[in-house]
Amino acid sequence: MAPILFWLILVLCLLISVVKYLMGIIMRLSFPGTKAKKDYTYEPTVSVLMPCFNEGKTVYETIESISKSNYPNDKFEVIAQDDCSVDDSYEWMLKAQRDFTNIRVRTGRNEVNSGKARSVCNALQLSTAEIIISIDSDCIFHPQAIRELTACFAEPRMGSVGGRVGVRNPNDSVITAIQTVVYYSAFELYKIPENWTRSVCCISGCLFAIRRELLLEIEPAIRARNWFGIPVNQGEDRFLTHQTLLRGYGTYINNDALCWTTVPTTLSVLFKQQLRWRRSIVRDFFFTLKTLPQHVWKLHPNTVLTLVLTPVGALVGFLVVVTALTSDPLAWAGPIPLITALAIGAVLTWVIKKYSAKEAVTHPLAFGAYVAWSLVSSLFLTPLALCTMDSADWGTRTKEQQEVSLGNATS
Amino acid sequence: MATPPVDSLPRETKVEAVASETKKAAAKQSLHYKLVITLYRVFAIVVLYLVLGGIVIYAFVMGFYAVNSSWAAPVILSAADEKSLDFREKLVTSQQTIEDLKVDTKKLDSGVAEMKKHRAALLALEPELQAAIVREQTHNQTAGPELATLDKQKLADNVTTQKVLAELNEVESNVNKDLAAGLITQGDAATQLVALNQAKDAYTDNKIAEVLLTDSVLDKTTIGTSSLNVLVKQAELRSEVAQLDVAINVAEKQLQEETRQVDRLHQAITTAKQSPYYLNAVGGQTLYFAFVPYDNRANAVGGSAVYDCYLNMILCRKVGTVKQIFPGEEQAIHPIFKTQIRGFLIQMNLDHAESAKSKTVFLGRKPVLF
Repeated sequence: MAPILFWLILVLCLLISVVKYLMGIIMRLSFPGTKAKKDYTYEPTVSVLMPCFNEGKTVYETIESISKSNYPNDKFEVIAQDDCSVDDSYEWMLKAQRDFTNIRVRTGRNEVNSGKARSVCNALQLSTAEIIISIDSDCIFHPQAIRELTACFAEPRMGSVGGRVGVRNPNDSVITAIQTVVYYSAFELYKIPENWTRSVCCISGCLFAIRRELLLEIEPAIRARNWFGIPVNQGEDRFLTHQTLLRGYGTYINNDALCWTTVPTTLSVLFKQQLRWRRSIVRDFFFTLKTLPQHVWKLHPNTVLTLVLTPVGALVGFLVVVTALTSDPLAWAGPIPLITALAIGAVLTWVIKKYSAKEAVTHPLAFGAYVAWSLVSSLFLTPLALCTMDSADWGTRTKEQQEVSLGNATS
Repeated sequence: MATPPVDSLPRETKVEAVASETKKAAAKQSLHYKLVITLYRVFAIVVLYLVLGGIVIYAFVMGFYAVNSSWAAPVILSAADEKSLDFREKLVTSQQTIEDLKVDTKKLDSGVAEMKKHRAALLALEPELQAAIVREQTHNQTAGPELATLDKQKLADNVTTQKVLAELNEVESNVNKDLAAGLITQGDAATQLVALNQAKDAYTDNKIAEVLLTDSVLDKTTIGTSSLNVLVKQAELRSEVAQLDVAINVAEKQLQEETRQVDRLHQAITTAKQSPYYLNAVGGQTLYFAFVPYDNRANAVGGSAVYDCYLNMILCRKVGTVKQIFPGEEQAIHPIFKTQIRGFLIQMNLDHAESAKSKTVFLGRKPVLF
C-alpha cells in the first residue's frame, strides 16, 4: 500500500510540475483569459516600501531605478526602512533622499533588527497610499513596473499583484546561469496556470503589490508570526500571498512588471537562500494542513492542489532521490538526465535570448549542472529545512557578518 | 480564612489579579513552547546526525566498492533454475545431434567408398580403350595405303577385264554362228557359253570387290562413324569419371564438415560439463557459486579463502574456500552500483550455508582490518 501511495503522490507531483509547465505554454499561446484586464488610466497613490539590511550602495541604485518610474511623481513615494544595517546602507538611503528630489523619499530605521516582514510593517506605518508595493533593496526596477502593477488592480477582487523577477547577473557563474533559466521558466510558464485562476501561491517579495487595507488587515498576523514562540521573519511573501487568497482576493503575476535581482553567485549562498525558501514552503505547508477545510471551501481547487502538492513534491523528491541512490546509485550520472537538462536548457536559453536579451545566458551548456544541483537540493534541503524550523537566520546575511560589522561600527 | 471573591475586591486588586493571571498563562505557554522547542531541537539534531551518518556511510560504501577488488556476489542456483534446465535440454539436444551426425557420417563414408570403387573400375577401362584405338589407328595406317594400292590395281584389272569382256561378246556371237553352222556341237557351244558367262560373272564379282575395297580404303584412311562411336564412348567414360570425382569431393567435404561438427559438439559438451549450470543441473547436492567481476579476477584463485562480513564489509569471518573457477563469461548487476558488469562464476566450498545469501563475500583476505 505504502509504495502505491508513494508512487501516486510522485506522479501527482510530477503532473503538477511538468503539466503546469506544459499548460503554461498552451495558455500563454492561446488563452487570453490568463491575463488580467489592465487599466492604465487607473492611477492610485502608491507607497513603495523598501526594507533594507546591509545592502550598501545597492540601496541607492534601487531608489534611483524607482525614481525613473513612468508614474505620476505626486502619486508615489518611496519609504526606505533600514533594519539596523551595520554597513553604510542608511547613509546611501539618505543620499538617495537628497539626490532624487523628483519623488518623495522617506527613510526610517528600526530600533532593533526585526527582519524583513516587520520592517515592511514598520514602513507601512508611514504610508497612507492606496497601493503598497513591497520591494527588495537589491533589485533594479523597470520604469513601467509601478504602472503595470497598479493597472492590474482595476480588477476589483485583485488583492495582490507581483512582477516578474529577472536576473541581473546571468553570466557570473554556472550557478547564476542555472538560476536565470529557472527564474525565467518559473515566471513565464509555471505561474501561468495559477494566473488563470488568479491564485498565484507565491508572489515574489522582490516586487509585491498589495491593497493597503488588505495589508493592514494582515499586518497583525505578520507581526504575530512565530514558531513556538520564536518569531518568524522569513517567507513573508509566501505568507502574504497565502493570506490574500484566504481572504477571498485574487493574486496575480504580471510578467510585464519587471525587476532584476542579483542572484547568489556561489553554491554556499545559493544553498542558504534555497534552504530559507524551503523552510517557508514547509511552514506554509503546515499552515495549509492546519487549515485545510478552510482552504477546500474557500479556494479554487487549482490553488489547493498547488498549495498541497508543491511542498509534498519537495518531500517526495527527497524520498525519490534516496530510493534512486540506494536502488540505482549511478542512474543520475547517466546520459538521460544530462541530455534532458541540456535540451531544456538549450531551448530556454534560446527563448530568453530572443525575448529577454538582457538576461541572455552565454553558455547554455551550464544548465547541464542543474542535474547535480537538483540532486543536492532534493537530498539535503528538505530534511535540513524540517530540522531547522526554529532558525531565524536569514542565511545570506549572517549574524557573524553582522557582529563583525557592528564591532567595526562601534569602534 | 477564605479568599474573598474577585468581584468583591477593589479595582486595582482586580487589575493586578488579571495581569497576574495573564502573566502566569504567558509563562505557562512560554514554558510549553520551550519544552516543545527543546524536544524539537533534540529530535532535529538526532535526525540530522542520522542523515549525516547515512550520507557518510553511503559515500564510504560507494567509495569502498569503487576501489575494492576482492568482492564476489554469491549466486544461488536452484535445481529448477531456468538457465540450468535450458542447459540440460541443450545438452541432450547436442548429444542427439551427435548421434544423428554419426549415422550420416557412416552413410557418407560407405557412399564415398562405393563411388571410388566405381571410379577405379572406369579408370581401368580407359587405358584399354585408348590402346585399342591406338592399335586400330596403327593398323589402319599400314593397311590403308596397301588397300589403296590394291584398289587402284583392281580398278586397272577391271578395266582390262572389261575390255576382254567386250571381245567375249564377239566370241559369243561366233559360238552361236558356229553352232548354227554346225561347226560345233550344241554341247560345246553350251560349254563355251557357260565359260563366257562365268567370265562375265567374275567381272561383276571383281567390280563388287572393287567397291568393297574402296569402302575398306575409305574406312582405313578416314575417320568413320565407328571411330566416332569409339571416341564418344571414351568421352562418356571420362564424363562419368568426372561426375564421380565431383560427387566424391562433395561427399568428402560433407563428411569433413560433419566430422568437424561432431568434434565441435564434443568440445561444447566437454565445456558445458565444466559449467556451473551443468553441475547444478546434474548435481544432487547444494552447490555454492559466486559471481566475480573481471576487475577482481586476481583474487579469485582456487583454494583461496572466502570471507563473509556482518556489516557489509566489517566484522568478517572465514566461511569457506574457492573450489573452482569457471571459464565462461557471465553478466550480472553490480550489487551496489546496480550497473551491468562482466565477469565469471566460481564455485565455493562453504562451511556456512547462510553466507550464500549474503550480498557480497570477499576472496583472499578480509576487506578491512577486522
